[in-house]
Amino acid sequence: MKVVVSRSGGIAGIRTTWEVDVDAQPDAADWAELITALPWAEVSARAPEPDRFVYRIRCAPNEVVLAEPQVCGPWKELVDRVKASRRAESGPGPRPAGPRRSPDSPLGGFGADSQPPG
Amino acid sequence: MTGSVHAPTRCAIVPPYLLVRLARLDDPRFAAAAEAARQSLLRDSPLRTHREVAHPPHRPEVRGGGPARVPGRIDRSVSDAAGLERLPGRLVRSEGHPPVPDVTVQEAWDGLGSTHDLFWSRFHRDSVDGRGLSLDATVHYGRNYDNAFWDGERMVFGDGDGQVFNRFTASLTVIGHELTHGVTQFTANLTYQGQSGAVNESMSDVFGSLVEQHARGQSTAEAGWLIGEGLFTDQVQGVALRSMKAPGTAYNDDVLGRDPQPDSMAGYVETEDDNGGVHLNSGIPNRAFYLVAEALGGNAWEAPGQIWYDTLTSGTLGSAVTFAAFARATARAAVKRFGIGSEQHRAVVAAWTTVGLGSGLAAGLGTGRPGGTKLPEAQRPEAQRPEQQRPEQQRSE
Repeated sequence: MKVVVSRSGGIAGIRTTWEVDVDAQPDAADWAELITALPWAEVSARAPEPDRFVYRIRCAPNEVVLAEPQVCGPWKELVDRVKASRRAESGPGPRPAGPRRSPDSPLGGFGADSQPPG
Repeated sequence: MTGSVHAPTRCAIVPPYLLVRLARLDDPRFAAAAEAARQSLLRDSPLRTHREVAHPPHRPEVRGGGPARVPGRIDRSVSDAAGLERLPGRLVRSEGHPPVPDVTVQEAWDGLGSTHDLFWSRFHRDSVDGRGLSLDATVHYGRNYDNAFWDGERMVFGDGDGQVFNRFTASLTVIGHELTHGVTQFTANLTYQGQSGAVNESMSDVFGSLVEQHARGQSTAEAGWLIGEGLFTDQVQGVALRSMKAPGTAYNDDVLGRDPQPDSMAGYVETEDDNGGVHLNSGIPNRAFYLVAEALGGNAWEAPGQIWYDTLTSGTLGSAVTFAAFARATARAAVKRFGIGSEQHRAVVAAWTTVGLGSGLAAGLGTGRPGGTKLPEAQRPEAQRPEQQRPEQQRSE
């Protein structure tokens, strides 16, 4: 089971994706419990706000899009955990906390459905 | 500390309007005078209040016995969230008080001042709402927070993570960008989704850039036309978040990838992310504005800025405006202020044509030729004579 957190928007408009293979985690059972308990079906649309982040969270078969202020409670717990896990996996490097290229995106850190300019 | 400099206060040698003007000066050469003027205005207000109470019938702008607001007088505050994601945080500086050592507070403070100055001195707009709304900012929001935003009431700045992003107050264009979201909210209120969202974003980039150009005294040729210059750390291969002059060229980094902004409709990005790519497709109207400025030369806050400001505040933009409708609205604004077939009108049509949105615009030029001839005065509709157009003060909401 994979969980993918993709953050777009922000004044920079730079998309950043974090991905975790839950089954490969030492605490896989904790992850599974957190993910199944998430209120996937209870997310309501919210009017976009200027320069706030937009989070897309995917864990098949579920997918939600959350405005930044909606990332609270268990959603925030998941997002923080995914970010921390991704960072830990990356190991020491010049920019361990920096955004990563998304493995599922042909355009690196940007939207898979984006077209190159020009 | 400039706060120790005293200007004449009780004795009314310096008239209030001049104090207001002095207090708004951001030129470092006049820092002492500006601060003294601010102190003076602050110290003066209880006295003015006293006079107003004594003679209320002669001051119609006084309501409920409160102090009269001086139009165009800035009222700022900066608060410190101290690394938490709670607003507003602790108030660390308000109008009339001396600077504090924190450079982030100072940058936010000065940026609010420069933004207010552009809108008031060039467009006669009194703060973001046109009615002197106080300009409030919060700095040090969150931990390693890589963003800045306008929350509908205040500007909020993160410190950045220090690896990709520096603090977000470091670029004046970002501060102008955020406050312009406030101006848009109080005027055209463009829906932050899809094309109207990208126009909303572009408005913030246009006026964010103009705030910086105006504060630096840069002409179109001298300006860098970058948004967020200096926000990236030196570990990133890039100069800024965006380039209005050449969208798609602001960065090209092994980790961040390449600046994805299109520079014409041919590269229009369809995406569900970023509220439909509002920060991506804004490159198209951004470049159109730059092209108008380039064609006209001189200072971009003059005719180009005026046309865009007129468009934003015309009351005719739908909240879900498309790029094409926005392009038409700028052409109408150019005609209304400068006349049909004027140099400004032709520059607007040519700019939109270059970015792929010229369809139907050239009809307004009469000849259909680039550089079409100006119609004789007698053929120009009365309502389109530029001398009859006055800057719109503000819309009543």
